[in-house]
Amino acid sequence: MLHTSSSLKYADVEKSPVIVELRNVTKSFTVAGGSEMKVLDQIDLAVHEGELLALLGQSGSGKSTILRCLTGLAQPTSGRVLCYGQPLEGINPHASVVFQTFALYPWLTVEQNVAVGLMAKNLPRVERDAAVEKAIELIGLSNYHAAYPREISGGMRQRVGIARALVSEPAILCLDEAFSSLDVLTAENLRHEMITLWHRKDATLKSVFMVTHNIEEAVEMATRICILFPRPGRLGLVLENHLPYPRDSKSPEFQSLVRTIHETITTLTLPDHPPEPVIVSGAPISRARNRMESIPYVPVGQILGLLSILRDTPDLTNIYDISNEIGKEFGETIGIVKAAEILELVETPKNDVRLTELGQSFLSADRIGRRSIFSDQIHNLRIFHIIIEYLRLQDEVEADQILKDIASALPYDNPEKILQTMVAWGRYAGIMDFNANARTVFVLKDDAEHAPSA
Amino acid sequence: MNTELPQLKAAEHRGSFGLMDIAIILGLIGLGWSVIHFASGMLVHFDEQAVPLLDESVWSIPYYAGRTLLRMWMAFACSLLFTFGVGYAAAKSRIARAFILPAIDVLQSVPVLGFLSATVAGFMALFPGSLFGVECASIFAIFTGQVWNMTFGFYHSLVTIPADLQDAAATFGLTRWQRFRTLEVPASMHSLLWNSMMSFGGGWFFVAQSEAISVMGKNIKLPGIGSYMAAAVERGDNAAAFWAVIAMLTVIVASDQLVWRPLIAWADRFKMELTESTQAPGSWFYDVLRVSVVLSWLSERVLEPAGELLGKLSVHRNGPQPVVAKGHTAVKQFLYVGVFLVLGLFLAFYAMRGLVGAVQAVRAGVSLQMAGHIAWLGVLTMLRVFAMTLLATLLWTPVGVWIGFHPKVARVAQPLAQIAASFPVNMTFPIVVGLFVAWRIPMNWGSILLIAMGTQWYLLFNVIAGAMAIPNDLKDAARTYGLRGWALWRTLILPAIFPFWVTGACTAAGGAWNASIVAELATWGGTTLKADGLGALIAEVTQRGDTPLILCCIATMSFFVIVTNQLIWRRLYSLAERRFRLD
Repeated sequence: MLHTSSSLKYADVEKSPVIVELRNVTKSFTVAGGSEMKVLDQIDLAVHEGELLALLGQSGSGKSTILRCLTGLAQPTSGRVLCYGQPLEGINPHASVVFQTFALYPWLTVEQNVAVGLMAKNLPRVERDAAVEKAIELIGLSNYHAAYPREISGGMRQRVGIARALVSEPAILCLDEAFSSLDVLTAENLRHEMITLWHRKDATLKSVFMVTHNIEEAVEMATRICILFPRPGRLGLVLENHLPYPRDSKSPEFQSLVRTIHETITTLTLPDHPPEPVIVSGAPISRARNRMESIPYVPVGQILGLLSILRDTPDLTNIYDISNEIGKEFGETIGIVKAAEILELVETPKNDVRLTELGQSFLSADRIGRRSIFSDQIHNLRIFHIIIEYLRLQDEVEADQILKDIASALPYDNPEKILQTMVAWGRYAGIMDFNANARTVFVLKDDAEHAPSA
Repeated sequence: MNTELPQLKAAEHRGSFGLMDIAIILGLIGLGWSVIHFASGMLVHFDEQAVPLLDESVWSIPYYAGRTLLRMWMAFACSLLFTFGVGYAAAKSRIARAFILPAIDVLQSVPVLGFLSATVAGFMALFPGSLFGVECASIFAIFTGQVWNMTFGFYHSLVTIPADLQDAAATFGLTRWQRFRTLEVPASMHSLLWNSMMSFGGGWFFVAQSEAISVMGKNIKLPGIGSYMAAAVERGDNAAAFWAVIAMLTVIVASDQLVWRPLIAWADRFKMELTESTQAPGSWFYDVLRVSVVLSWLSERVLEPAGELLGKLSVHRNGPQPVVAKGHTAVKQFLYVGVFLVLGLFLAFYAMRGLVGAVQAVRAGVSLQMAGHIAWLGVLTMLRVFAMTLLATLLWTPVGVWIGFHPKVARVAQPLAQIAASFPVNMTFPIVVGLFVAWRIPMNWGSILLIAMGTQWYLLFNVIAGAMAIPNDLKDAARTYGLRGWALWRTLILPAIFPFWVTGACTAAGGAWNASIVAELATWGGTTLKADGLGALIAEVTQRGDTPLILCCIATMSFFVIVTNQLIWRRLYSLAERRFRLD
């Protein structure tokens, strides 16, 4: 745990009453092939009164699932959801959701959309209209009553989403990536307004729970930041953030907090571990052996792009600088680096990313040479042997069969996405191709001479 | 900003009470009076022995047109109720879905006209001595012609409502009724309206046919435009027949212009996309209506509060409803399942009993040789349906593509093709058959033309739609690479219109089976021309009232339809979906 500030005001939060909490919550989904994919594993998380809690995680880490459990949109597979100490049944009446996609009804005007938030209460017309008017006023939509969602900008649409969530006076407002489909300036503006809304002491709104993949956004807004690590989703780090509002993203304290989060994610995602033992192709793969390593869902082109950037700008080694340089979210950058790392094209001592010798020779090779290296490296990945073993015995294999095997080997991954990535990598390496009509993976016969012998 | 919603925020652009409002009030009164006037004609005494003759005068055409129109709307109202009930049940309950979807699939393959004799007898027994029984049979025929398509469309749009919109409804604790009103009906409005318009258009065929029927050896003529036409042709009164066709066209165009186009224009706001549509569908009548004070007052003061009241009455509970029933609600769940099971078993029992009876009747009444003959006739009719599809494709694909590439022409031609598809050409069959007689065209070939007369239009307007949907950048790309002639057709046009062609051809072929019942056996004056085919046989045995044979024929035709659907159209659909989607 990290306590970076001594501000007493927020230190009390831990003692203030809990609005809603998850206790030992696990959630699984049924995926292709009928097997179970565990998305959340034994999550304990409480939202206290008076806090602005951010749940930070990459896409697919299960953070939206946590939000759905807290609001009652989803039921945990096991574990309990408590709201003010009582087990939650059905939809959480104290929480409102603001959606990433706004989820406005296109056929209703702004006013009518906001009124949807009050429908369940069956208020008399006059009262309802007054409440709607108040929410519209509060969120700065005063001249937009009769407009339809398709007539207004994205930022205005999300304002409608927020007004609709606030109109029923919830104790806790849940933001599901609420700013991520807005342009930078609009998002920044709305973030400030959200903090102001939460600060207003006269309102019934006690807390905000936000789910985001944007590190700066979490540091800018939240009093507490929980980082969720994927496959399966589990809470890795909880940070108290006591910086005073309004927060200056250029200030050293802000930057140091961002750096702490970066480092935590890096060390946990790219640990400096010894490489997996090389597999002799042809030897039977026993599933009883230790867990196979997953592969990040990254297209080959992005791996190649990363390698070129590393070659062209030798000074660029720090992973955050790389992330800024290529203009991707940190979570995405980490995925690309990780992909290059498991292919042994880069190494990642601490927070640095460097080309390996193999990476150097890969870059200087011609197309056939590159393909050959890539193919060799793929043969070193245990997960690929699921397909390779099939293709040694027969010319083609059904995708569903592979999906089943992937699901049992990697119970926390989405088998479809893993297969897509494997096919993309395998195509580049010239060792396999996919027939979308028949849904089969097959050997590339013509290019057999490029495939390396074991 | 927005000026589109008369019933909401009406204060902003409500004009003053004007001439138009007086016209609308008079129109509403007139409409109410007509409905009562025409409906009272439905309940008169009816005696099989002394069927009243139709009035031959041309001046009685408007009355008959009104009767036909009322029949159409009653059937449509029934279809709509059925659609909401059954489509909703199929979307919401897994158990109901397991029964409903296969049932709809089979039922929409059954040729409606084939069991007209059974339904007429049944409904006449239900309302003895009243014309209402025969009216019901006619309404039922129209209903079965249009309902399956609508139900399936509604079900499909319910299950494809975007997840985030459903989540929003769930988090804000909307009750079932509120959800239905604010989310589910609006979200499916667009598809519901288009399907309704198409189904309604298809209904004219059935209304014209079911008004003048000879079943069980009896000639029954319901007062209506279809029976007026039939009587005129029997008498050889060309002037009366001509005016009947004009009246029919007028009624179809009026339904289109005064009801469907305004509804489509109004429903433009229910589209899912959050982008402004570049070319919103327009309707002059809608433009007239939406400035009306009377209508906005009605919707604001009557419809809206009524909807809200229903919302309050529907489920009055304090908390929002749980997403997943658990705990004590397990009992409720169990009860639901129990009720469904009992209902299902009850229906299944009766269906089985009926089936056993039918099989026994067929075995007693139809020899093996006859069954073989029926199957052979089925093959002949199938070949005719294929021939029609092929010929219509060869003829209308180039025409449709040409029209689609010229937007100005398309804007005129597409509605015309839709009206042509709605027009019940079976009314004009006797005249065409007269020409066959005069020119000595054998009915075995002529019937292909008769079938095509009604169904080819589906192909045409789908091909036009397909050609219009080809993105301009693809056309430009083809032009820069100098693609022309056959190369252009093969690489761009044919693949791009393929999904639309499949839809059109499938609809046309489906309609063709029904049309064969009236197209393979037709009478002109004293001459009856008959083709070898299952349709002709069904028409024949229906007139005779030979129940076992009717059952056998209908089952055979349904079988052919189901098999061709499974073997041909399903596959073409999935091919179109996989390979030729334009997105």
